[in-house]
Amino acid sequence: MSERAASIKPERAISEAAALGEKLARGAELFAKLCDDEVRIATTPKDEVWRQDKVTLHHYRPLAPVTVSVPVLIVYGLIGRYTMADLQEDRSLVRNLLKLGIDLYVVDWGNPTRVDRWLTLDDYIDGYLDECVREICRRHKVGKISLLGICEGGVFTTCYAALYPEAVKNMVLTITPIDFHGDTAENRLGHGFINLWTRSLAPEDIDRLIEAHGTLPGEFMGSVFSLMTPMRTLMKYNLDMLEVMDDEKKFLNFLRMEKWIADRPHHPGEAAKQWLKDLYQDNKLVNNAFTISGRVVNLSNVTVPVLNVFAKDDHIIPPATSRALGAKVGTKDYTELPLPGGHIGVFVGGTSQALLGSGIAKWLAERQ
Amino acid sequence: MDPTQYMKALAELWGQGGWSFMTAQQNLLREMAERFGRPGGEGAPTGETSFFDPQVLGQANEAFLRLWSSALELSRTFARNMQQGRDPDPLVSGLLARIFDPSAWFAGADGMDAVLTRLAQGPRLADMWNTERRMLNVLNAWTTLRRRSLEHNTVMLEAWLQAAGSFAKILNEKADRNEALGSWREVLALWVETANTLLLETQRSDAYLKSQRELLKASTDLRLAQQEVAEFYSEMFGYPTRAELDDVHKALTELRREVRALERALRDRPAGRSPRRSGAAKPVPSEGQLP
Repeated sequence: MSERAASIKPERAISEAAALGEKLARGAELFAKLCDDEVRIATTPKDEVWRQDKVTLHHYRPLAPVTVSVPVLIVYGLIGRYTMADLQEDRSLVRNLLKLGIDLYVVDWGNPTRVDRWLTLDDYIDGYLDECVREICRRHKVGKISLLGICEGGVFTTCYAALYPEAVKNMVLTITPIDFHGDTAENRLGHGFINLWTRSLAPEDIDRLIEAHGTLPGEFMGSVFSLMTPMRTLMKYNLDMLEVMDDEKKFLNFLRMEKWIADRPHHPGEAAKQWLKDLYQDNKLVNNAFTISGRVVNLSNVTVPVLNVFAKDDHIIPPATSRALGAKVGTKDYTELPLPGGHIGVFVGGTSQALLGSGIAKWLAERQ
Repeated sequence: MDPTQYMKALAELWGQGGWSFMTAQQNLLREMAERFGRPGGEGAPTGETSFFDPQVLGQANEAFLRLWSSALELSRTFARNMQQGRDPDPLVSGLLARIFDPSAWFAGADGMDAVLTRLAQGPRLADMWNTERRMLNVLNAWTTLRRRSLEHNTVMLEAWLQAAGSFAKILNEKADRNEALGSWREVLALWVETANTLLLETQRSDAYLKSQRELLKASTDLRLAQQEVAEFYSEMFGYPTRAELDDVHKALTELRREVRALERALRDRPAGRSPRRSGAAKPVPSEGQLP
């Protein structure tokens, strides 16, 4: 070993250390100046138009003349919050769609607690989501609307479109799992960990977890997500933050993302059992064995036009888990839109988020 | 320090640290196997007569601490040496120490272990110690959780050690080829890349998934054991229990579901069959009245 001489250049090490010190000093100054109010997310103006229990429906104010007459409802899941679609002014799917003439609504599931332990996916899909669709139809005097599902919310809209095709004009899915065992198709390192982890549990482990907590705690799911990008998580608050902390714009971007990550609601317990056991473990959706309110969700009943958007490097929802839908739906008007980037990058990444908004708007406009 | 000497010291350090780490780990595992293998010493709650031997956990903890202190020293020394023996900048030292801190590998910086422990431990009931056998169950469940946590952390420490070994190997290979690393940032990038690959591989291993599952189960068991104590005292003092509240919430959810279904049924009635505006609905009972 003594002959070995890989080395770090001392002069560079010293100058880097000095630069680092300056960066930290500038960052500390900026950090002291910023307050929480300045780290605002989901700022696009909207009005609450309906509420039931903890669920609220919001209508976005237009940012341009409406060119697509059929209103669109954004449906996020119960893991995370819809604010991802409107993270900041220059990285907002919501703003991009509004500027392109889409009439847009969003449903906010609120903050479930242990009180909501007994809510099921049936309640969310056949209850609240159905009520939202009806309310929008009533307001616009139309018989059907378009749905835009995101992640778990995409599963909600898929089930809804299969159960109530007569109420849906078009369906856009983004980063939505359909075949929950599709992660094994590619078996990429670091991809599909939630699928693998959930399958490593026994069904009774999940039952007891819900019995103990009443919900699937938001912080628990946050930890599982952190495990998926282990070194990124470990480095985030030193190296990553260090890179941006002396640049106000970049630092605010970083903090907005952190704010979204920190806002992780609890997942109602019974609904979480269905999500983890029926879907992640037993893979019932793609096998047409999942039931909502006693009715089987048969994917061949999805006869409306479908745009399926997936991220090519999505480590949470590997592409194969989304793309499985194509072979199952009962419509010939099925389109896939692969975008560069990962699960979140699709919404906030420089290239993808622009392609996402324009791609969806164009597809909807062609199917009015 | 001369760069050549520095690299030599570094490589030897990795080797020595790794050896002592492995030895300590073997001792730990042997010790744990012996202690938990004793009759009645499995650690899982076994009912009224379950054991609690604080020495078992204490010794397992000590062994684990010995095991990981060598890893910690290794990482600290490495972070110090990254600054080439010159007057260390405290900011940089702190940063490097954190980056090479093996404890961060115990399920992530704000990781599952801490979250599970916090979720499980909830309110502390220490003032009720030794009053009921339920408390013994809590203690046993807590012991099991600590044991599972140690087992899981051992899996992670092993991964850290492997990553450190791979990292040193790459450095040595570069040295053999007389390749210079431009800066400590390049070294860090190399460490991140090496460690990330190994961490992801570890997470897919049966050992990791098994220890993770056992940790989850243990935290759930502790939480449920605590709830049992809380239920007991709630009943004793006439407070609503968690189970009763859950029942109420269940009834509320079911009622809301029924109301929603009724509203929908009314709305969907064919025209001409809508309910009468008055007379059909039951009057709302006044306060204190039951319908």
